[in-house]
Amino acid sequence: MSDILKIDHVTKSFDDKVVLNNISLTIKHNEFVTLLGPSGCGKTTLLRLIGGFETLDQGHIYFEDEDVLNIPPNKRKVNTVFQHYALFPHLNVFDNIAFGLKLKKQPKEEINKAVMNMLMLVKLEGYEWRNVDTLSGGQKQRVAIARALVNQPNLLLLDEPLGALDLKLRQDMQYELKEMQRRLGITFIFVTHDQEEALTMSDRVVVMNEGLIQQVGSPQDIYNEPINQFSASFIGESNIIDGVMVTDYEVVFEGISHPCVDHGFENNEKVDVVIRPEDIVLIKPDQQMIQGVVTDIIFKGVHYEICVMVNDKEYVIHSTRAKHIGDKVSLKFGPNDIHIMRKSDA
Amino acid sequence: MHRLRAYVIPYRVWMTTLIILPSLMILFLAITDFDLYLKGPFVFTLEGLRVFTESTIQIALMNSIKYSLLTTIIALLIGYPAAYYLANLKSAYKTFFVALIIIPVWSNMLLRIIAWEKLFFPISILNNFGISLDWIGSDKAIVVGMLSMYFPFMILPIYSVLVKLDQHLIEAARDLGANGFDTFVKVILPLSLPGIVSGVIMTLLPAMTTFALPERLGGGKVLLIGNIIEDAFMKTGNLQMGSIISVVLMIIILILFKGIMTVDKEGETLL
Repeated sequence: MSDILKIDHVTKSFDDKVVLNNISLTIKHNEFVTLLGPSGCGKTTLLRLIGGFETLDQGHIYFEDEDVLNIPPNKRKVNTVFQHYALFPHLNVFDNIAFGLKLKKQPKEEINKAVMNMLMLVKLEGYEWRNVDTLSGGQKQRVAIARALVNQPNLLLLDEPLGALDLKLRQDMQYELKEMQRRLGITFIFVTHDQEEALTMSDRVVVMNEGLIQQVGSPQDIYNEPINQFSASFIGESNIIDGVMVTDYEVVFEGISHPCVDHGFENNEKVDVVIRPEDIVLIKPDQQMIQGVVTDIIFKGVHYEICVMVNDKEYVIHSTRAKHIGDKVSLKFGPNDIHIMRKSDA
Repeated sequence: MHRLRAYVIPYRVWMTTLIILPSLMILFLAITDFDLYLKGPFVFTLEGLRVFTESTIQIALMNSIKYSLLTTIIALLIGYPAAYYLANLKSAYKTFFVALIIIPVWSNMLLRIIAWEKLFFPISILNNFGISLDWIGSDKAIVVGMLSMYFPFMILPIYSVLVKLDQHLIEAARDLGANGFDTFVKVILPLSLPGIVSGVIMTLLPAMTTFALPERLGGGKVLLIGNIIEDAFMKTGNLQMGSIISVVLMIIILILFKGIMTVDKEGETLL
């Protein structure tokens, strides 16, 4: 697979505030890439730079090996699904979707056919003459997607397109978007602050914070091997514990030595230890293991979320077995469940 | 809603005594032979409509339509680009520039008309700058006068639509392949249509019915329909004639108003 988009040392500031700080990223053909991060991390700005709606301060963006610096949005083979849909209120569903094709002066029959195909793809057959104001959020979303896809872009940008939908609809749309992307073979760049959405849909996740790329990897990599404290805390729930890497494959935290699979650290280097809540099993108190007292338990449906206080630090554990507040327990986990991260400089 | 009903009473009193009753009186005067000094029985008649066959009335009506249309077209051609420029202005002084357009409306219209009148005489303060105008009674005087009176009513509704226009719609159009011109014609212009309709009606209506302006700037040479109505009531005492012309104008206005309501359903650009 070749690269469709190359972002090369891009910097962008608004009024002296650096929003993107020397970002580099390469995106391949047919990839589903998610830019994930909290609001204000620069993910939307990066998307707008790719779409041509902002100008960058430094660096280059290459689309299919061509520098797009001086190419206006209407000349880019990129289409965008905007955050709040941005459907044209004076046009009906059909004319919204046909907008791009009519500008290209395509013959009427071809436009008709293409729009009808799109309506079928987004499951809105029979809605073509409806006023867009009468549509529900989910339907508007589908029209926005159809309006972009009908132009057969090589790259589709999606700016938090599911943000305004309720949970059930959002999950349906996640699945459908992924399906569409597979079927059409279009590269998707998807912006979201929802980590679950990112993990569900993406081939590759780009975790961003404060204008910097924190980590790039497959959803599995991002979830299982967070590279730093930000990634770990932003992606799912985690217990992050101060520890010391005594030597390769051995880490000490909570006063106890644990075998682990990590290596390549300096001897006695201070590290962050990450253990996912679902990787900890609660057992009877055991002198050899970390001990604590259950302080809280919340029923979450599939599992219980149990808080255990260990030496003034609270651990979160997901378990299908209930405990009682005040129970004395020990935490059991294997070497594979321990993830070691270098301490952030900050 | 029930709790608020009491607060509507002043508005109802106002509407009834100052708008509905006078309108009914005008309608009554228009379709009867009732005269100010006539006592006793009267008959309903549409004889009054006969005035529209008189050449003076026809000329005045045509003049009103000509000048108000001309003013409206010029105001739209200048006002739309100005409103567009102001709406997209990224300046801390944006509000200040908009205020500059509104402020003249706050001063008395008659005073402003008289100020123009003074400038349009051959001997005026403009002589100090080597300029001498002899415009009183000319088309120029009427149109410039009307423009200066009603231009703000054209620019403000258009401005208020454009300033509220969702910028994402413009980006969406660009994204879908529209260049600047396409974006304007296919997105910005249709979406600002309610503002244009409001502006046109708010310029056209007062321009069509004005009587003070032609009186001062027309120098007795330009007769508008507003002058005919004023004369009929104030000078010749021909109540039926004044009323029937007013009623016909009112019907024209109502038809125009119906037009604005279909384009601008919420009436959000009128004020």
